[in-house]
Amino acid sequence: MWVFLAAVLGSPATLENRQADQASLARIARGDQAAFAELYDRHARLVYSLALRILQDRADAEDIVQEVFAQVWAQAGRYDASRGAVAAWMLMLTRSRAIDKLRAKRARPEAATDPDAAESVMDVAAAQDLELLSAEQVTRLQRALKELPEAQRTALELAYYEGLTHVEVAARLAEPLGTVKTRIRQAVMKLREVLSE
Amino acid sequence: MGAVRDDDRPELQPPILQGLGQAVPQVDPPLALRARVLATVAGAPTARPEAARSAVWVLATAASLVLAAGLGLYTSQLRGRIGALESELGDARARAAAAEQRAIDAQQAVAGTRVALAVLTSPDVARIDLAGQAVAPRASARAYWSRSRGMVFTASNLPALPPGRVYQLWVLTAQPAPISAGLLMPDAQGGVNETFNTPSDIPQPVALAVTIEVAGGVQSPSGEKYLVGTVVGA
Repeated sequence: MWVFLAAVLGSPATLENRQADQASLARIARGDQAAFAELYDRHARLVYSLALRILQDRADAEDIVQEVFAQVWAQAGRYDASRGAVAAWMLMLTRSRAIDKLRAKRARPEAATDPDAAESVMDVAAAQDLELLSAEQVTRLQRALKELPEAQRTALELAYYEGLTHVEVAARLAEPLGTVKTRIRQAVMKLREVLSE
Repeated sequence: MGAVRDDDRPELQPPILQGLGQAVPQVDPPLALRARVLATVAGAPTARPEAARSAVWVLATAASLVLAAGLGLYTSQLRGRIGALESELGDARARAAAAEQRAIDAQQAVAGTRVALAVLTSPDVARIDLAGQAVAPRASARAYWSRSRGMVFTASNLPALPPGRVYQLWVLTAQPAPISAGLLMPDAQGGVNETFNTPSDIPQPVALAVTIEVAGGVQSPSGEKYLVGTVVGA
């Protein structure tokens, strides 16, 4: 299924958007600053919005945008278009870097040794099967998120937007571990069901 | 798929992984951010022939990353500096407010001293000694009153006030109703040094008294007398 980048960009969903991203990336790989600016204009809002949602701080979110685009500039030449959409890859970079920054801000000791922290330096080699959802899918997902029981939604959001483990989510919510795992599993199943409709 | 450990992160596979990233409220980044991001690659070489670009490309990439890191560091340092300056500004404001208060206190002290000097050197000054009453036998006070200049009042050994109470100084005249001269708040040793402006048309005082009253004072004395003194020759 082809992705519709306009789901989040506010323009008609077209295959050309994805192809335009790949073309921009190819030009960026050759040092084309104009192509870099085009990519920024298409996706800065997407990257900034996710970083802001995770970090809840505008200055920190701006730092993440800078870091993500710097990484795109540095790794553009190694990006394999067959692995997925450029914008989806950028979203992955954004989430990983923002969660790392969140952990660092909270000075959690495991931030330095957590094997999942490797996500923070996730390069293009690790990015695969990355596709954006269509506008219609995003709308369905947003609606389904709203309709989730609050306890399920909260647990899922802590896991996704803060990168917490099951144990950490349980501790944060002061709920039994089993309860938290069940809530997250049920939430994921519901969202998966909605997206497969 | 292997067993899920309790400390594992919840498994979020595409498309949910991507969808949650897209589902957040969309917010426009600040316009200035665009310039900052583009500046990270400014100066980097533009499109070059593929064969010639490898070494330069590596250098350009490294330079851009260094520049990005440098900008990030600079931004961080700038934020820290702003925070420190704000803190210093707060301290400076607090010091200025304290200095202003000290100046006001000093002005008030000077004004009080001037009144006291004026009263004590007035040709019509009269001295009134007040003696402690049964509730405060060790207390004593002395007042200097001038119809034209006001009153200087000093007291010592007044008992500490209970909460919500205040001493009040009264001028007793030939008229039945005593006139309040003001409120007295003794220091930790029970001492008082106050100056009061008294109306020049006040009837001739015959006595002074200090009573204990509710905080804020009262219209006419109702509490117990702590100090009483008569005006000699009144």
